[in-house]
Amino acid sequence: MTLTPNPTHSRTMSRVAAVLTGLMAAVHPAAAQPSFSEGAALFSPVTWERLVNAADEPHNWLMYNGTLDSQRFSRLDQIDVDNVGQLELKWAHHIPQLDRAETTPLVVDGVMFITESPSNVLAVDAVTGRPFWRYDHPLPSDLRICCGRNNRGVSILGETLYMSTLDARLVAIDGRSGSLLWSREVADYRSGYSKTAAPLIVKDQVVTGIAGGEYGIRGFLDSYDADTGERLWRTHTIPGPDHPDNRTWAGDSWRTGGSPTWITGSYDPELNLVYWGTGNPGPDWNGDVREGDNLYADSVLALDGDTGEMSWYFQFTPHDEHDWDAIQVPVLADIELDGETRKAMLWANRNGFYYTLDRETGEFLLGKPFAQQTWAEGLDENGRPIRRPDTSPSQEGTLVAPIAGGGTNWWSPAFSPRTNLMYVNAFDGEALFFSREQEYNEGDNFTGGGTETPLPIEHYHSAIRAIDPTTGDVEWEFPITPRSRAGVLATAGDLVFSASVDGYFYALDARTGTPLWHISLGGPVHAQPMTYAVNGQQYVSMTIGNTLYTFGLDGDD
Amino acid sequence: MRTRLSTRWPAVALLATLTGGAVPAMALAQDADNNPYTSRIDVRTGRRLFRAQCSTCHGLNAAGGNESTGPDLTTGRFRHADSDAGLFRVIRDGVRSTSMLGLGADANDQSLWQLVTYLRSLDVTAGGTPSGSSAAGQQLFTGKGDCTRCHMVNGRGQRIGPDLSSVGDRRALADLETDLVDPDAELLPRWWTMRAVGPGGQVVEGLRMDEDTFTFRIMDAEQNLRAFSKYGDWTYERIQQSTMPGYAETLTADERNDLVAYLFSLRSEP
Repeated sequence: MTLTPNPTHSRTMSRVAAVLTGLMAAVHPAAAQPSFSEGAALFSPVTWERLVNAADEPHNWLMYNGTLDSQRFSRLDQIDVDNVGQLELKWAHHIPQLDRAETTPLVVDGVMFITESPSNVLAVDAVTGRPFWRYDHPLPSDLRICCGRNNRGVSILGETLYMSTLDARLVAIDGRSGSLLWSREVADYRSGYSKTAAPLIVKDQVVTGIAGGEYGIRGFLDSYDADTGERLWRTHTIPGPDHPDNRTWAGDSWRTGGSPTWITGSYDPELNLVYWGTGNPGPDWNGDVREGDNLYADSVLALDGDTGEMSWYFQFTPHDEHDWDAIQVPVLADIELDGETRKAMLWANRNGFYYTLDRETGEFLLGKPFAQQTWAEGLDENGRPIRRPDTSPSQEGTLVAPIAGGGTNWWSPAFSPRTNLMYVNAFDGEALFFSREQEYNEGDNFTGGGTETPLPIEHYHSAIRAIDPTTGDVEWEFPITPRSRAGVLATAGDLVFSASVDGYFYALDARTGTPLWHISLGGPVHAQPMTYAVNGQQYVSMTIGNTLYTFGLDGDD
Repeated sequence: MRTRLSTRWPAVALLATLTGGAVPAMALAQDADNNPYTSRIDVRTGRRLFRAQCSTCHGLNAAGGNESTGPDLTTGRFRHADSDAGLFRVIRDGVRSTSMLGLGADANDQSLWQLVTYLRSLDVTAGGTPSGSSAAGQQLFTGKGDCTRCHMVNGRGQRIGPDLSSVGDRRALADLETDLVDPDAELLPRWWTMRAVGPGGQVVEGLRMDEDTFTFRIMDAEQNLRAFSKYGDWTYERIQQSTMPGYAETLTADERNDLVAYLFSLRSEP
């Protein structure tokens, strides 16, 4: 059965399509999607209802993390463990600016939206990769950015795309033409603020974070009216002096304490809670100037979906001195724990520990290391780390695992409800951490030290690890040489897709970690795979080097 | 005999693509040719600026490291600049189509020059005069030391150790001495050994030319190139040791000094 959207009734039809695809998802998701025959009108408006039910239209990839629960799991199963070995290249898109390509494209009814370095976006035909339009964002020459000119993706509501830009603006772009609708300054880039992450749509709001943790910023999470660009609320990730938690920062150190919000969060429509990770306190490596726990750096925040008011927080790394941002995607999943179904949040943290939290209350349920760590004896009953002595950065250098880049980083994990496993890109390695005195100068890098890895990267160990969220145990691992900076995708074909810095794109058996398919595409990877379907054909896309590659099975099969 | 290429591994990639003349002379007309800020205090100021502006990518001490993409800047040679004025421009303007961002047109000249001064102060190969005789060292290299059995210099010698044609560009005197007496001290993974065992029990060993998630490639003792899959019929192991003998016993201290003097003289430019 196929559905052809009528442009004049596209809202209604898209809902019908969503309902029907939902019903048929269990049968054959790729075949159940609307058909876009040659020349048919593509791209119907993306309502909030469609976003809430995004899992039911798996032929589309409607937001950065796929669905509001950020499982990065797709119900598409045309490509599976038996046929993944037959994947072939369908098309490639070359990104002109050579820098870190960190995009997760969106696909909406046959149209793909790809962001490019530094802050550009283009729309292409998802079947051929050929462009409809592009938007190039003008940027000043004196940007303050720590880690490359990158952008990780857009969000969509209705027919409008929302994108963060490196000059700390939020822009709204017409999804059909690429025209700029509005551009809003979120913060002053000259002070060290920048924006790299895809915003998250929550009802009629655009919720969006900020980067700049290496520049002595004061972090926040913002919400903007999707129509007008007016700011609706701002929740600071470091409370002001009128709040008791402000006393977790010595003196005035809270003013330059960092705690940015540079990766996209998640949303639970039933609880009406927005979940967002926060980055390192600043200066990164000199904790002496900011005695205290430094709330709410290195935490996950649960905020009211209408007001931004904090419901709860959980701090993974109190008084962090190693740059272990809690900038991971909050994965929301309901899991069986001690005979009870728990509304859980799954979190493999940069500090080397895996956590399962109750996402209603923030209660710590369990946690244990998933990567090499030498800084803590373990976690106490509240999930607070029991620190080892002599692990602080020093003048002469202190050897600690994980490295500043972490046991994992911002690389998106995935969770499969079919295997009940969480898939994480993990790294076992250690670094020398140095601490230095440093004065704050607005707009200048403010890190208070640095790190060096004492040995070549080949001495360390990297892997995709499958974690059981009910125990925190690693069920299997797939070793990567020398390492990876890629995110992970899980599918109903019981596959896990990821990539590695050596330029491989590969698929693993989600149950065993056995490699089933790989191809050498020859460039470093800083992105994460996604999947979609058009006209019954499933595709999987991944950016390797500066090229977005899209694979599928032979259409004649 | 073999030594490894460098204490600081990113230098290998950096040096491999060195090109001179990356900065057109015309474009430098607006800049002073000579760095006016070269005192000891400028080095210190430059270091402070470096730590604030550059260390996230290039490491706290400019040696790369970190997990970052910034190359080692302590070798005295730079991929995109071959002069102080060229360095000044790279620091100010960045390098197009790379992750290297400049400090911007608004950065003041004094700070930019102090950064240049700091980088120049780091050159690990600049200091020292060898005490030995380079000519005697060259004799040892081909004679008693039998170095050409593994190493190549300017196209002569063998391939189962690093090419030493420009080792003096990369290694300080003390590093070269260490290389001779303790080849494992700072061995690069390129010179590890991979040992592969085939389905029939046959064993193939060779130098680890490259290894990735799914495959590896080696050069065996007969200098054959061989490629393997990690998920095929062969099993494999890494041997993270040098195949080079140490020369602490077989050469006298004076002979080693001569050999170091010779190696130190091997430069890509006279």
